[in-house]
Amino acid sequence: MEPILEVCGLSKTYPGFSLKDISFSLPEGCITGLIGRNGAGKTTVLRAILGLMPADSGTVHFFNTESPETGARPGRAVRERLGIVLDGGGFYGDFSLEEMKNLTAAAYPSWDEDEYRRYLDRFSLRSRQKIRTLSKGMQMQYALALALSHHAEFLILDEPTSGLDPLIRAGILELLKEFMENGGRGVLFSTHITSDLDKIADLLILMDGGRLVFQEEKDLLLDRFRVVKGDPRDLNPAVEPLLGGITQTAFGFTAVTKQPDRLRALLPDCLLERPSIEDIMLHYLKGGK
Amino acid sequence: MLFQLIKKEVLLAKSYVLLMLAVCVAFPPFLLWRSPEQAGILGFVLSAVISVLMCLQYVSLKETQYPKAAALLCALPFSRRDLVLSKYLFSILIYLASCLIFGVETLLFPQLATVGLETPVLLFFVISLLLGVYLPVQYKLGYEKTRLFFAVFIMASPFIFSWSLAWKGPFLPEPLRHIHPLLLTAGSVAASAFVLALSSALSVRIYQQADLS
Repeated sequence: MEPILEVCGLSKTYPGFSLKDISFSLPEGCITGLIGRNGAGKTTVLRAILGLMPADSGTVHFFNTESPETGARPGRAVRERLGIVLDGGGFYGDFSLEEMKNLTAAAYPSWDEDEYRRYLDRFSLRSRQKIRTLSKGMQMQYALALALSHHAEFLILDEPTSGLDPLIRAGILELLKEFMENGGRGVLFSTHITSDLDKIADLLILMDGGRLVFQEEKDLLLDRFRVVKGDPRDLNPAVEPLLGGITQTAFGFTAVTKQPDRLRALLPDCLLERPSIEDIMLHYLKGGK
Repeated sequence: MLFQLIKKEVLLAKSYVLLMLAVCVAFPPFLLWRSPEQAGILGFVLSAVISVLMCLQYVSLKETQYPKAAALLCALPFSRRDLVLSKYLFSILIYLASCLIFGVETLLFPQLATVGLETPVLLFFVISLLLGVYLPVQYKLGYEKTRLFFAVFIMASPFIFSWSLAWKGPFLPEPLRHIHPLLLTAGSVAASAFVLALSSALSVRIYQQADLS
């Protein structure tokens, strides 16, 4: 599969925070989740990719096209093929939906008004409503309507499900699945709500402290790890090196392991379960390897 | 595309634009009542300068209120150059509207028609100088830091106003009065265009490097 986005050696230093040598490649046809705790650098990476801030070094290639010089933003032709949703929408709250749409549509030669109207109907949004009167969920639905109405090929979403109720989150995830059905497309979205990614992600990128911890296929990652539950009395020097992120109570311990077979041999009575993305993320963020 | 960006500035400052246009309508007749001998020139100059600067300031205030909106527009296929130029063109549009309103008023109140063609052109040069300095500084330092400039302007305006009312001399400074009016007008237009082109190029250069994170 052709890479839809290739990031190589992206670095940016701010007082008190740096993005350090971020490199990853996303093939088309994948939904990629960019995960990490608050302040890990997820939004900074997305903004650097979009050229909203000049990077100190590194290159960004979209759609296998020529990369602009370091720190420059993607060219107009590339930006026409992207759908962008920023954290919080990024709209002028005083504008009506129609006014903001007119402004956005002017930027895209391929704007599809019928598609836009269909999304408004789907989300029960009214054109004349002021953006500041929309709930957070409705603002995100509106942001997606704008991002999807020009036949974008690659969606970049910054925390699209943050602070939304489960019903609206489910609707947004459904929309992303529909977007991917046409093929040749991709989605990169940052989130700290990993349960959303359990449902739809194909690839995962974990960031921590401005560094990339891993990029891996979700299913392979989930297959490799197991959540272990057992009796605290079973924890001994032979077992502990096989475990990460151990939490212990009087009734039992929970941990994550990458070596379930060896652990099963040592602890035949322990319970091994398929982990969630959150289990694995916490394992890494607590220092696991 | 540029048209939509200028429209965006108008929409952002919609209420203020209407208020300033009302000032442009009401101020010259008010001066005609208070100080008939200076009403024409003063009414036009003050209403035009105040309208342009206040509308521009209000747009900047709104942009500061919604900082992510500028980031979103830059992520869309808008060029940063167009985003900057729209601010300059918006200011010129407000100035032209002030000229138009004053032109209509001179038809309704012939006593106001003391202003020749060279006055709006010369005033345009003055406004170009103000914008030419202010906008690049604002793009560099941000709205909050450049607000001081406006605070000084607002505080000084009553003094400028009363000094202007007391002014009995000619409108043009001595050296300019000896230049042929046509040459003066053409020179002002060319100088204004030069100042605005230079200033907008500088603003674009600053904004191209701006960190919108």
